[in-house]
Amino acid sequence: MSERLRKSIALLLVFGLAFTVLGLAGCGGADEEEPEPGEPVAEGPFEGGTFNFYISEPAFIDPVNLQESEGTQVGQALFDSLVTFDPVSMEVQSAAAETWESNDDATVWTFNLVEGAKFHNGRDVTAEDFKYAWERIANPENESEISYHLSAVKGFDEMQDGSATELEGVVAVDDYTLEVTLNYAFADFEYVVGHPALAPVPAEEVEAGDFGEMPIGNGPFKMSEPWAHDQYIKVEKFDDYYGDAPYIDGVEFKILADQDTAFLEFQAGNVDFVPIPTGQIQSTIDQYGESPDGYTSNPGEQVVLGGELAVYYMLMNNTDEVLSDPLVRQALSLAIDRQAICDTVFEGTRSPATGIVPEGIFGFQDDAWPYSKYDVEAAKAKLVEAGYPDGEGLPTITLQFNSGSGHEDIIQLIQQDFAAIGVEADLAGMEWAQYLDMLSEGTYQMGRLGWIADYPIMDNFLYPLFKSGSADNYALYENSDVDALLEEARVTTDDDERVAAYREIEKMIGEEAAVAPVMFYRHTRVASDRVNDGVYSANGLYDFQRVWLEQ
Amino acid sequence: MFKYVVRRVFQMIPVFIGVTLILFILRAPGVLPGDPVRMITGERGMTDALRQQIIEKHGLDQPLHRQYVIYLGNLLQGDLGESYQRGRAVTEIFADKLPNTLRLALAAIVIEGIVGVTAGIISAVRQYSFLDVLVTLSTSILVSVPVFWLGMLFQIFFGIKLKEWTGGAFYLPISQMSSAQFPDWAHMILPAITLASVSTAYVARIMRSQMLEAMGQDYIRTAEAKGLTRRAVTFRHALKNALIPVVTFVGIDFGVMMGGAILTETVFSWPGVGREIFLAVGQRDWPIVMGGVVIIVFLVMIINLLVDLSYALLDPRIRYGGGPE
Repeated sequence: MSERLRKSIALLLVFGLAFTVLGLAGCGGADEEEPEPGEPVAEGPFEGGTFNFYISEPAFIDPVNLQESEGTQVGQALFDSLVTFDPVSMEVQSAAAETWESNDDATVWTFNLVEGAKFHNGRDVTAEDFKYAWERIANPENESEISYHLSAVKGFDEMQDGSATELEGVVAVDDYTLEVTLNYAFADFEYVVGHPALAPVPAEEVEAGDFGEMPIGNGPFKMSEPWAHDQYIKVEKFDDYYGDAPYIDGVEFKILADQDTAFLEFQAGNVDFVPIPTGQIQSTIDQYGESPDGYTSNPGEQVVLGGELAVYYMLMNNTDEVLSDPLVRQALSLAIDRQAICDTVFEGTRSPATGIVPEGIFGFQDDAWPYSKYDVEAAKAKLVEAGYPDGEGLPTITLQFNSGSGHEDIIQLIQQDFAAIGVEADLAGMEWAQYLDMLSEGTYQMGRLGWIADYPIMDNFLYPLFKSGSADNYALYENSDVDALLEEARVTTDDDERVAAYREIEKMIGEEAAVAPVMFYRHTRVASDRVNDGVYSANGLYDFQRVWLEQ
Repeated sequence: MFKYVVRRVFQMIPVFIGVTLILFILRAPGVLPGDPVRMITGERGMTDALRQQIIEKHGLDQPLHRQYVIYLGNLLQGDLGESYQRGRAVTEIFADKLPNTLRLALAAIVIEGIVGVTAGIISAVRQYSFLDVLVTLSTSILVSVPVFWLGMLFQIFFGIKLKEWTGGAFYLPISQMSSAQFPDWAHMILPAITLASVSTAYVARIMRSQMLEAMGQDYIRTAEAKGLTRRAVTFRHALKNALIPVVTFVGIDFGVMMGGAILTETVFSWPGVGREIFLAVGQRDWPIVMGGVVIIVFLVMIINLLVDLSYALLDPRIRYGGGPE
């Protein structure tokens, strides 16, 4: 080999090595780019621009199966249900229905639709389209996983078991009047119909095929092109939208497989809104500034840390030999240092749970559960009362959980907390599939779960989780008084009385420490500095209608 | 040669049956924990009607051996079933992903072949020189660097820092995310280098040791004695003989990349086959797992066949005939 060639190769290799070293040195200085708080606030709001919104690959974006956070995010941009929720206060607001009312016992609901609202194909939205959409969900052939939203509607059970082909309780009185009859009184039903899955769909488009890939909705945005799986979903402003026109031209949902990558893309300036990886929350706040209300982001106030309508809790099998004793459950619940978990694992961005119903839900009470707090002495006293002084005689408790999603860190801290009151606990991490089997079969002893509200109401935490026989009652809690009161609360049409009833029920369940709430989830996301008035609501949906972008 | 290929193709049949059979045994109740139907809605319960519908639709109420026969029947017609979780046809899902996997693997193989072989030759020909030490050292480092870490380093350096330093004039895309300013192939640069990194190091090392061994052989001395140039000796005599183990390694590696590039695919959000199968295993989404494995097995067998055929090109002593060998 010639000397020149040799030299140039050597040079190339050295150069490559230097690049790597530089890269190493560079990765420590993530906060070089200081925000400019003194930057004059533009006058705005400006129109135009495309919002680049990170999601992971959704399961579905068709309302028939709109379920997880990612698909719902897209779905709510494309579709409007009868009502919606104020992104900050979570109060019910008019959407596709202009007004609505129920009869005195909340069994019959009448919705008056906005006249002249159009689907993206130009056709008017009528009451018949709601009926079609809901029946599509209730029909088991369509394999909707979220048909339970309609379980209160008369005729739902008949459609499920195949004895009926339509929802008897849903009647299109005329083009703009939808009447819904329920199987039982349900005063909070207006919240249920706010779920993005219960939006109208145009039958002719569904039957034309490929609706799942390019849904035609009635919302502020329409699909620009079919869903590019694992890459992006593009939506653009729908000019004939009946409501207020959005400022932005459209949203590009950027689909990325990995949250860390999404955060890097954010740092590279290619995405406008992403979750912050654990461990980088404080440095991100330092760099981008924190939103004052926790939901709204503006330049220099870009990190949103507001409470979510979700709770992380420890399940205790109420039918277990040891854990069936409420005293033991109370002791264990008192032993958990919730603040330490929030601080060490989540850099203080989650808050200790004071009950099962999180802040942000109307009716929230911050002292709901007397045993959902950290008190070692009280925990020890409860153990004495239960007949296990200092844990003596108490068999080792097995803490089961699905490993690999960061739960290890939390469960290990809880294990140490238990040790502090003399209770020995073994950890058993396993695959989600296996863990789910144990939960469903009730063969676990103590485990963990999270619960995210479908609707911002207390009922959505209490009824599914604690009603005897409910599919979501994995704690196998049974209390006939609670069951009766839950049914009674549902039919209480007076809002204040109903909330008071739910508060009472929450206290009753808390008194028995049916489960041990650990923490309330909070947002940990950051917006780019071109995002103004961007609201990421407590129920995890982004308000694309009010946000505007710096040009 | 033709007979040999035909025979090899027929040999694929028992392999397919074996692989699908093993996967079906894994599905049998009690072998792997986890109920695939329950996994569809996760911790949120499902209505009985939905459960029944899914079981009937996917034939999960049939005895396992019957399900297997049905599966093989469908497989022959090119039907790999439908995902439990997403309700999409498995063939459709992989039609999206397989081209990505192939593209990335090919790019990585090209890098690995060119860079690895070149580095290996240089360090063998100039044994103990500065270049040799450099190659040996850098390959040692590369082999021990975790792929995901290297990937993230590339992302931070080429995607973020470089953009900052050059004021946005020069940088590279750090994921598959479509960005208008880059042509399609540019998105492949970082993932391909990352995926190729470890293997490139191995290729360089194998190449080096094989070259050194070949250079010590009698026929090299003979060739040199004949008065052949250094270049001719190195490339025509030594390299050709030293290449066989390298080709074997690269061939196997190509097969591995078909399904095993999970870390690279994750870091760069590259929608490939490996990650899809990995996630499907966790979700017990058997149609995706089975379909993915079947596709990979098929590709690996084709690649292996091509590798075996290439031996004959490299070493004339190797002949593939129909008769006894």
